[in-house]
Amino acid sequence: MNAAELCSALELEGLTYTYPGAPVPALDGVSLEIGEGELVLLAGRSGCGKTTLLRAACGLVPHFHGGEIEGRVAVAGVDALAGGPGELAAGVGYLAQDPESQVVSTTVAAEIALPLELRGAPAGDCARAVEEVALALAIPHLLGRAVDTLSGGELQRVALAAALVTRPRLVLLDEPTSQLDPVAGDELIWLLRRLNEEWGVTVLLAEHRLERCLAAADRVIAMDGGAIAFDGPPSEFLAWAGTSDPALETPAARMFSLAGLEPLPVGVREARSRLVEGGRVLSRGEGGLRSIHGRSSTPLTPHHPPELPQGGTAARTKGIWVELGEADERREVLRGVDFEIGAGERVALMGRNGAGKSTLLRALAGLVEPVSGKIEQESGAALLTQNPGDYLVRERVGDELLGEEGEEALRVVGLEQAVDSDPRDLSGGERQRLALAIALAGRTEGERLPGLVALDEPTRGMDRARKDDLAALARSLANRGAAVLIATHDVEFAATFAERVVLLGDGVTIADASVEEVLSGGWYFATEVARVLDLPGVVTPEQGAEALGERP
Amino acid sequence: MRSPFAYVPRRGPLQAASPGAAVAYLGAIATVAFVFSNPIVLLAAGCAAVAAGLLAGARRSVLAALRMGLALAVLIVAVNALVVSRGETVLARLGDWPLLGRVDVTAEALAEGLVLGLRAAVVLVVFAVYSACVDPDRVLRALRPLAGRSALTASLVSRLVPVAAADGARLREAARLRGPGAAPVGRAATARRLLAGSLDRAVDVAATLELRGYGLPARRTGEGRRPLSRRHRGAPRRPRQDARFLAVAAALLAATIAVAAAGAAGFHAYPTVEIDTGAATLGFAALVALTGLAPRK
Repeated sequence: MNAAELCSALELEGLTYTYPGAPVPALDGVSLEIGEGELVLLAGRSGCGKTTLLRAACGLVPHFHGGEIEGRVAVAGVDALAGGPGELAAGVGYLAQDPESQVVSTTVAAEIALPLELRGAPAGDCARAVEEVALALAIPHLLGRAVDTLSGGELQRVALAAALVTRPRLVLLDEPTSQLDPVAGDELIWLLRRLNEEWGVTVLLAEHRLERCLAAADRVIAMDGGAIAFDGPPSEFLAWAGTSDPALETPAARMFSLAGLEPLPVGVREARSRLVEGGRVLSRGEGGLRSIHGRSSTPLTPHHPPELPQGGTAARTKGIWVELGEADERREVLRGVDFEIGAGERVALMGRNGAGKSTLLRALAGLVEPVSGKIEQESGAALLTQNPGDYLVRERVGDELLGEEGEEALRVVGLEQAVDSDPRDLSGGERQRLALAIALAGRTEGERLPGLVALDEPTRGMDRARKDDLAALARSLANRGAAVLIATHDVEFAATFAERVVLLGDGVTIADASVEEVLSGGWYFATEVARVLDLPGVVTPEQGAEALGERP
Repeated sequence: MRSPFAYVPRRGPLQAASPGAAVAYLGAIATVAFVFSNPIVLLAAGCAAVAAGLLAGARRSVLAALRMGLALAVLIVAVNALVVSRGETVLARLGDWPLLGRVDVTAEALAEGLVLGLRAAVVLVVFAVYSACVDPDRVLRALRPLAGRSALTASLVSRLVPVAAADGARLREAARLRGPGAAPVGRAATARRLLAGSLDRAVDVAATLELRGYGLPARRTGEGRRPLSRRHRGAPRRPRQDARFLAVAAALLAATIAVAAAGAAGFHAYPTVEIDTGAATLGFAALVALTGLAPRK
């Protein structure tokens, strides 16, 4: 559909905005027009201005954040700079990065109903709208729950439901899948597509995991340094990213580039059909996808941990059961988990929301006691929880850490130059590294090095370049002899960082094998390359390109 | 980690009652604690509050409130004993203290401190039961027609308290996870961080409310589309549990007025401790304690 033929849902004209006290503008002369009914993907590295653009579109910038602004923002013809978020609320739904900060009520049902009640909607209308949006987002079972009992992923879906319940014409979403497992993330993207197609809702979606949503988008806008660097259809975006900013390439596109194939595919389906058309992959047979060199998909062997490296065991659990909650809310979160990690090993802990990943990390770090079973871990553990901000309590980086040991910890995470900075001025990735330095301080070398370094969902809100930095940091810790265990929903990051993947489901281990085995054998817990090729052991773009290159 | 005082949706008469009835019932028990200083009556009110909480399933909240109440009571008793030297029964002469002057610890001051501490503990337990059993969202909904903005403010405050408690628990956990080479985190630093976090959160909540339509002119209920069902057209039905709690609250308040007017259940700390232990007092205390059974299923 031609955007010019449509009425504008959002229009920005020469928008330049600078946050209070910031030396450079966050948005620099941005002009764009989004037509009604478009689904637009907003791409770009961390700090490029995506969040600020969304805030400007819903009126939070400048009304809540202050600062200096020039230019024009209009939402469905309404001047956003004059009206502010209150004026725009009737037609705009906004989901921010952190769902914790967006919850106002005590129970889920009340939280979703609040926007309607604030508009004075009758009780019957409220009840029906709450039920429908809960069904659409697969959360009816949460309606009676208290919001402070929800996981991050559940909370994100509740916040999204509250943003959608009034059926806004323009929906702005800032990394809505960052806390969701691969299943829920995929479902959310397709729900947005359905809302867009069936109700004509305009969607502006900022995401780092482009492989997840590129195929659903009509158009991609890439930002760089507060300005628009690219604006066009997804297929052209991939060609642009390949030459201008390879960190924005999707894994399948990168595989095609490395294999010298063109045009680059926008999603799994397109990639597969291109390969089939090009005779590189045969059609599905009875034994799975029969393909390159006669390799065939094999089912994942359940729960067979590989042999540990020579350095010995860093931590081990034997049949641990962990129960959480009080009285009638008490539930079994881990059910007889056997887990072992060797010194110097890099392991990704995966599983859907609520599978027990965080609880296993907390048990290994000694924060929760199992009701039965045994945890063996002699060399200590350093744990970085999901909220690195909790570790930062002072106003100067150097004040968080003591003496030479503190300086060494900063060097290990690559932050020695930031010693005089205020932690609040650091980027998200830097804050995370600082929190890790605080957890590691005084035990970065030799015998004092913790046997286990565990990180809980550290890649939320990170672009690929920062994820690569984190993977490098994890490798350097492993090279020093620490076992590194990272709980993550990000399959692409797991494929980059880990040697082994442990998959949890409902508190039990359902797979424990090499990264190539686990991430190439499924639909959801599989990398994009694995989903395209469906070949055992092929999970990264490099492996995929090599496999394609083997084809005569 | 959840605050022990956070509201937990449960099936129970107190939770099912309308906020007005629940507040009337718990408020009546708190009123007894404020009106009477007689320790027998205060103990009875405390028993009623504890029983109500336990029967409503708020065991964790009640225990947490009792721990806090006990600590507060001990503090009040100690401070009262040191700063008030009235009373005829001197238990200890502690000489001249800076700022306080001559300090004599008397049995009467201890008794008065005990009564004040007991009152504080009872009120704490009542608030803990309210916080754990009365849905703040329903309170907000009930109050909105009367004072929408004030109701929303009150609801937000009631939500921010357990959220701050959860933040505090997370910060303490992160403090435990700091390496030996990291600067230790004292209570002051944690409190400062907690305060800063609460202010940030308040700003975020304000932004969210604006985005959800807080500033929009509210359409009166009934305008726009017709309600979907007969059930939604009339005034909302009052939960059947309301009658029980309203009756208990009315009976307790009537008895309170009658006993106070009759001058029964008295207590005087000075010059010597006098506690009314007459039949009227004991009967009233028994009635007060029995009101704690109202949330029984």
